[in-house]
Amino acid sequence: MSANGRSPGAPILEVGDVHTYYGSIHALKGVSLTVNDGEIVTLLGANGAGKTTTLRSINGLNRPRQGSIRFDGRDITTVPAHEIVRRGIAQSPEGRRLFPRMTVTENLEMGAFQRHDRSEIREDMERVFELFPRLQERRSQKAGTMSGGEQQMCAIGRALMARPKLLLLDEPSLGLAPIFVERIFDIIRQINEQGTSILLVEQNALMALDAADRGYVLETGRIVLADDAASLKTNEEVRKTYLGET
Amino acid sequence: MAADVSAPTLGARFKRPSVIGLLGLLFVAALVFWLIVNLIKTPSDFGDVFLIGITNGSVYALIALGYTLVYGILELINFAHGDVFMLAGMFTITFSTHFFGLHQGQGWVTVPIVFATLLLAMLACGSINAAIEFVAYRPLRGAPRLAPLITAIGVSFIIQDIGLAWKGPNYVTAPDVFPHSNVFSAGGVDYSWNKLIVVLVTIPVLLALLWLVQETRQGKAMRATAQDKDAAAIMGINVNRTISFTFLIAGALAGAAGTLYSLWATTVRFDQGFQLGLIAFTAAVLGGIGNLPGAVLGAVLIGLIQAFNEGLNWHAPGSDWTQSIVFSILILILVFRPEGLLGEKTPEGG
Ligand SMILES: Nc1ncnc2c1ncn2[C@@H]1O[C@H](COP(=O)(O)OP(=O)(O)O)[C@@H](O)[C@H]1O
Ligand SMILES: [Mg+2]
Repeated sequence: MSANGRSPGAPILEVGDVHTYYGSIHALKGVSLTVNDGEIVTLLGANGAGKTTTLRSINGLNRPRQGSIRFDGRDITTVPAHEIVRRGIAQSPEGRRLFPRMTVTENLEMGAFQRHDRSEIREDMERVFELFPRLQERRSQKAGTMSGGEQQMCAIGRALMARPKLLLLDEPSLGLAPIFVERIFDIIRQINEQGTSILLVEQNALMALDAADRGYVLETGRIVLADDAASLKTNEEVRKTYLGET
Repeated sequence: MAADVSAPTLGARFKRPSVIGLLGLLFVAALVFWLIVNLIKTPSDFGDVFLIGITNGSVYALIALGYTLVYGILELINFAHGDVFMLAGMFTITFSTHFFGLHQGQGWVTVPIVFATLLLAMLACGSINAAIEFVAYRPLRGAPRLAPLITAIGVSFIIQDIGLAWKGPNYVTAPDVFPHSNVFSAGGVDYSWNKLIVVLVTIPVLLALLWLVQETRQGKAMRATAQDKDAAAIMGINVNRTISFTFLIAGALAGAAGTLYSLWATTVRFDQGFQLGLIAFTAAVLGGIGNLPGAVLGAVLIGLIQAFNEGLNWHAPGSDWTQSIVFSILILILVFRPEGLLGEKTPEGG
């Protein structure tokens, strides 16, 4: 059973024994993970464990030197970054990475860059504004001048504008005030309930495990734990390392 | 840091005029005084020189936009850009005279020939510029910033040598086909057609560029790539292709500038790109590098400054000093207002 009450479907994303490097730095040393259709899967790990690198391997920004990545039944290991979103993977990257000198509306339009169905893009923008009323108020503001929480909403909204089958979220709660964190996690659940699978990278393990169906724990480039979210929450290692218990 | 915190807000609002600020004010006052005296003494010369400044300024704008577009997207000062402009002048001579047999006094057939030459020069220089990026800059995409900069200087030399080998060390003349008759003549100020034509061709090109960058899909891709390449890529933008396209556009603008300038000034030489490139680059920095309207504004200002310097009668330093003056302006902007006249301090730039 999944957290959203639906039973998860077939694997949509399969990462198999992926090795990724930065020059000679061996950042991922054989990472394997799966996201099933309709799931929220969380990837936990300390700073520098390789969470962002895993996402960058999936979305084509850092091509793995070894291993394979399959999405929606097709191999995407060597597909260039700008093709990935067309296949159905969108991302809210670490640090949000909005286009600072574009307005909120323009940023959202950029999210739909590879789409051509104009009227549906407009509808989707309305949906994003329903999800984040704050963004609607700020629609003509330059993205670079907004607060961190607003920027995070814009980054998630921008990713949704691609109508992804799989959404990659890299530390969406980082640096946000607690009330924003709650709000962001609510919205992550809502997005998932509307049918989008989610791979959620977080340092806020408690919140992430509450929202997720399953989780993986990454340590210095290797997966060291993989289990249901509920089991991970009671796992002693996890509690010690990530939930701040002694 | 501590001084910042304890400084009263009054201090920030009423900054005590520094020695440098005072000197700057004095300098600007002297400049204005000099212009006014010239205007009063020889108003018609002043008017003529002003029009020359605007004409040169619009050519500089076309070149400056190329610097600014490329800097905006790669943060690279493309030192070879002025030389691509020089090549455009040579293409213009070759295309117009050798291909189309253009010469003075052909009547209306001149018009389509000039336009065909303009388009061919734009196409040639656009392709060359995109090829330069592909061969010389793209392999250095991940390298430290200095590497492509030095490469750009190298490419500049290579293009100059190509120009030297192609047309020789001396000035080559372009056909003098723009009419010299006056559009109007008022109070001793003559506005001739050859000047107006340069401006008339430049304006639609500038508007087309602005439309391209602001409204089209390619333009959006350019702006996104300029602001964040990784983010642009995950939006589905082909970053390499967008960079190529930017170089293509920049080269085409240099091509247009080269055609107009060579037909207006009627001479081309292999090292011309260096001086005009320097002037146009300064214009781009003056306006705020990366800022398109800024490049146009800076170019017009620099065009006027150069024309006043070279053309006014009363105590003008003269053309020997143009390069020194342009370089001084460049240094002053870089020291006192690196973001230029229209450039904004962006949040990510601090
Ligand atoms: N651009 C880079 N260049 C070199 N090493 C990097 C770069 N980005 C990340 N790394 C290294 O790769 C490892 C994994 O980093 P990252 O994926 O960002 O971790 P996380 O997202 O889990 O904090 C770290 O050791 C980090 O130092
Ligand atoms: Mg990270």
